[in-house]
Amino acid sequence: MRHTLTLYRRLLGVQIRSQLQYRVAFFMDLLATGLTVCLEFASLALVLQRFQHIRGWTMGEVAFLYGMVEIAFGIMDLVFSGFDPGRFGQEVRRGTFDQILLRPVNITVQVLTLDFALRRLAKITVGIGIFIVGLQGTMITWTPAKLLYLPFVLGSMVCFFGGLFVVGATITFWTVESIEVMNILTYGGSFTISYPMSIYPDWLRRFFTYIVPAIFLNYYPALYILDKPDPFNFPPIAPFLAPLVGLITLALSLAFWRFGITHYQSTGT
Amino acid sequence: MIQVHNLHKHFKVTRHHQGRLAGVRNLLTREYRLVKAVDNVSFTIQTGELVGYLGPNGAGKSTTIKMLTGLLVPTGGDLVVNGRIPHQSRQQYVANIGVVFGQRTTLWWDLPVIESLELLQHVYRVPADRFRQNLSEFTDLLDLKPFLHTPVRSLSLGQRMRADLCAALLHDPALLFLDEPTIGLDVVAKERIRQFIQHVNRERGTTIILTTHDLQDVEKLCERVMIIDHGRLLFDGQLNDLRERFDGRRELLVDMAEAYEDVSVEGAQVVARDGWQVTYQFSRSSVTASELISRISQRYRIRDLAVREPDIEATIRRIYEERLLET
Ligand SMILES: Nc1ncnc2c1ncn2[C@@H]1O[C@H](COP(=O)(O)OP(=O)(O)O)[C@@H](O)[C@H]1O
Ligand SMILES: [Mg+2]
Repeated sequence: MRHTLTLYRRLLGVQIRSQLQYRVAFFMDLLATGLTVCLEFASLALVLQRFQHIRGWTMGEVAFLYGMVEIAFGIMDLVFSGFDPGRFGQEVRRGTFDQILLRPVNITVQVLTLDFALRRLAKITVGIGIFIVGLQGTMITWTPAKLLYLPFVLGSMVCFFGGLFVVGATITFWTVESIEVMNILTYGGSFTISYPMSIYPDWLRRFFTYIVPAIFLNYYPALYILDKPDPFNFPPIAPFLAPLVGLITLALSLAFWRFGITHYQSTGT
Repeated sequence: MIQVHNLHKHFKVTRHHQGRLAGVRNLLTREYRLVKAVDNVSFTIQTGELVGYLGPNGAGKSTTIKMLTGLLVPTGGDLVVNGRIPHQSRQQYVANIGVVFGQRTTLWWDLPVIESLELLQHVYRVPADRFRQNLSEFTDLLDLKPFLHTPVRSLSLGQRMRADLCAALLHDPALLFLDEPTIGLDVVAKERIRQFIQHVNRERGTTIILTTHDLQDVEKLCERVMIIDHGRLLFDGQLNDLRERFDGRRELLVDMAEAYEDVSVEGAQVVARDGWQVTYQFSRSSVTASELISRISQRYRIRDLAVREPDIEATIRRIYEERLLET
């Protein structure tokens, strides 16, 4: 176990050093990512200023919600870079996964360190900015419980979206064609929960409640922290289901991952 | 060290639809074609052997190596290497083998060679002094020094292969798998790598399996060869036996001192005549070269002669083409 952790650090070190070798490309990437996120939010802010609020959510409250997802997804994208399905699929076809199997080190740790997309730091930073703007636009009455719960909410989202990445990566063992479906779920899911769930049509909200229970990751914890009433009348436990949803998703996806590995058919010469 | 019994590997290959709505039809209906990449192969390899695994492209060499190294799970048959079943106890198993795929690298693309090697030291938990010994030995033998500090992405193919060989052996594996280690290299680079392989086998006692379609690799390195084609093992034995069984055709070139109408001789065929020069073909099993020479010199006056050994390449080409080994 200690050996595995040390190796994780060393392998990450390799990734970081490799990226910093291409300094210009790295900073351009960083800049581009940061700008994209800023633009996305600016367009949202413009719309919100027109309307002041949507479905009872003020500009500040939406920023709070949006910022949380941005931060969590950014961290996930950083930590789970190696599992990014598109990228991982390429590595499989290139034979990298063979090399991973040939080393006496935990497979998952090696895949995690296939990449460490530092440019996501821009996304995280902008996310923090938006989150702070949100905090200033809302009158949250902070309690110790709320403060304590916040990191768990972020962690749950990291686990949840990380799990989706792992599922997508596993699918590439069989096919790279269906990968788009998974990406729609991952990126579409994170986009959807960046906004209050009450703005969506019923069928979409039900999908993200009963089939992919993403509503508990962000929306319900936000209701709790912002002291907003629940329009859907769920039991009062609902805001605290986030860690459960996150951990179960990650656990199931890792089980699927292990299953996928046993079905891996090394290709190429 | 290696026991393989009735080994099979079949691949289901999807047949893709063509034309209109191909994507949708691919999703809905799938048709499969079965590829028997390895078909009922059995062999045993003892500790310390250096075995050549020979076959044309697509014969099933890499697939066999991938099963032996635990990358692929066999469709059928038994496989025990080093007392373990490769795909079942992966981490313990791979800690004691070395593997080089000629067309890939195990090194980190953007790192200088030396840093990749140091990282592998930690991956395999090689004690520091053992690592230093091995590194200096391999650096000398493979002449790594000029590019130890060059990133792997800037190495030539030959340099990269040398670095990969070093990387595969730093942890003193008992068993080394080399899949086409000389592919794409020039003559000099090939020769250097052959010498190194021979050294590792002789001096370190490492058991080596070497796949190749370059017959010179086999001729220079291996006493034992296995030939595979279409997934089936066609031959497993000494290189000399292979020669004796299949290359009856040595040639004797004779320069006659006079013009003869009839140059025939018992035990050999005349296959070419060019002025006073005659080419005989004879088989090892029917007559020796010295016997044939004495028969000819009793009948004719000879000015000069030469014996031409058939090369293994021609022999194996004959085996493939004439399907000599198929049952
Ligand atoms: N992962 C795979 N999926 C489907 N077919 C494969 C796969 N790997 C190899 N094959 C097929 O199996 C046969 C043997 O391939 P291989 O073992 O790579 O041959 P060699 O290494 O002797 O050139 C070929 O017909 C090849 O197309
Ligand atoms: Mg091959």
